Amino acid sequence: MSKSYKLKKVIVKTEYKFLAIILVLLAAGLVLLPKYEKHEGINPEILLGNAVSSERYISTDELAEKIINQDPSFLLIDVRDEESYAKYSIPNSINIPLAKLLEEDSESYLNQDEFDVVLYSNDNFYANQAWLLCNRLEFKNIRVLNGGVNAWYSTIINPTKPTENQAVVDFDLYTFRKAASMYFGVSYLDQVTSPTKKKTPKKVVTVKKKKKKVAEGGC
Amino acid sequence: MEKYKQKNRHVYWNPYFGGFLLGLLIIFTFYMTGRGLGASGALKSGVVTVVHTIAPEHAENNLYYSKFIKEGESPMNNWLVFEALGVLLGAFLSGAFNNRLGFRVQHSPNITSRRRLIFALSGGVLFGIGAQIARGCTSGAALSGMAVLSTGGFITMLSIFGTGYLVSYFFRKNWI
Amino acid sequence: MGPLIPNGIIPEDWNYIIAIFIGFAFGYILEASGFSSSRKLAGVFYGYDFAVLKVFFTSAVVAVIGLYYMDYLNWVDISRLYVHPTYLWAAILGGMVMGVGFLAGGFCPGTSLCAVAIGKVDGIVFTIGLVIGIFIFSESFSALEPLFERSNLGHITLVDSFNLSPYLIVLVFTIIAVVAFYFSDWVRTKVKKVFY
Repeated sequence: MSKSYKLKKVIVKTEYKFLAIILVLLAAGLVLLPKYEKHEGINPEILLGNAVSSERYISTDELAEKIINQDPSFLLIDVRDEESYAKYSIPNSINIPLAKLLEEDSESYLNQDEFDVVLYSNDNFYANQAWLLCNRLEFKNIRVLNGGVNAWYSTIINPTKPTENQAVVDFDLYTFRKAASMYFGVSYLDQVTSPTKKKTPKKVVTVKKKKKKVAEGGC
Repeated sequence: MEKYKQKNRHVYWNPYFGGFLLGLLIIFTFYMTGRGLGASGALKSGVVTVVHTIAPEHAENNLYYSKFIKEGESPMNNWLVFEALGVLLGAFLSGAFNNRLGFRVQHSPNITSRRRLIFALSGGVLFGIGAQIARGCTSGAALSGMAVLSTGGFITMLSIFGTGYLVSYFFRKNWI
Repeated sequence: MGPLIPNGIIPEDWNYIIAIFIGFAFGYILEASGFSSSRKLAGVFYGYDFAVLKVFFTSAVVAVIGLYYMDYLNWVDISRLYVHPTYLWAAILGGMVMGVGFLAGGFCPGTSLCAVAIGKVDGIVFTIGLVIGIFIFSESFSALEPLFERSNLGHITLVDSFNLSPYLIVLVFTIIAVVAFYFSDWVRTKVKKVFY
């Protein structure tokens, strides 16, 4: 074997050693690198922007109008616990208690882009908490009923009659609210309609699950 | 030195270089499609298609074929079949560049061609059965399985090469 | 981010076109590294050529390190990748049968496709044998079914089996691979040279 061939063999050997050291260093680097919690979800600035905008509230009047017109594009979700839901709830709403908000089944109702989701609770408190969670997980089209069940009750079911020196707009609003309350089953003594309670038609909610595509494989 | 190179047409890449490129290819495959490579699955799809074309009722009654027959879609509509086509093309091109094309039987000088072919056939039959039992061959289960640290991949790989070493004594006349 | 096609970043229809390109590269690399030659493949068992070991381990180590770095940098979501399921007894038994087949035939399905492409007759015969083997297995499936389906441990990885951090497993794997490379070179100097 010539001298140059033997020399080449030695050089190749050192190259291999070099490569082997690089490989082991890379693997060791993986072990030693600091592990940090992966930041999942929405950018904080965007979350703040969403939180302060007034777009995210929907007033009780708008909601009543939507229900009366049988608008099919929204989904009412009650985030109180089950007993309060059973005692009284706005018609055609489904109940997802706040504790169960992040479960698998609820996600199919919340994380979809077919319906607008409107969250409500007794007041704004729980609904706002739910809204914050959903927004952080980047669910779209989530809004909060301003005032919750309390406001619903005081404006739609039991509207206050405006006093005489208020604007015409207030009177129109009052008329609208009174009509809405009759739609929802409140009977007034001075307007006796049919004795049977008119039931609001139950909306069947078919939600299409946003399927996460699973990687297939095999040999 | 010159005569040595001329006689030996089999000048291949450095195996570390080939392994490095193959590793990059596996990363690319996982990044693109979320799955690894594979080889025996393509042949299985071929067999299922042929049986289904020739004898449809038998194929549907048989427990194994019916797993891969979907209504209205040929079993050949499978990722692995397209990958196998690519393998054939790629290997052909590489052989063409390096002057390695040609019909011949490669065997040890100590045995005849016929014996080599008989062993190749029986080896193929055994490997086909084994690959179906273990749901994978060396490329699919072992290589891609090791790339994601799958336990099944490691077990299959160790089992194949372990058994290989154990029985290598009996086949030594064929190779050395 | 992540595996691109399951995440919808690249439409599903490109899947098959990408498959052809990936297969093309796979076949080219395998053939250029010499895996279309059955004597080179069988060399790992007799000590005269360790190409199989080197290519296998190098590609596995590079792939594992690469994937875990990409996971750390948030380019790939490792939990979405396909993990080969573990069927304990089926893997062991199938592996044994495959080992004998490997020694007898000198090929594996991927490399036999390469051999077919460059015209090696023993590769073609091996592929025919593979087809016959698959056929035999499917016909006698009813007898073998309990073995096939039993002991399914699911899509588990080494992380679940050993309960260690994945990075530690990668490091140990790398060190084992490097040691195996040095060992194989040492064995090669001791074994009689075979010309093929």
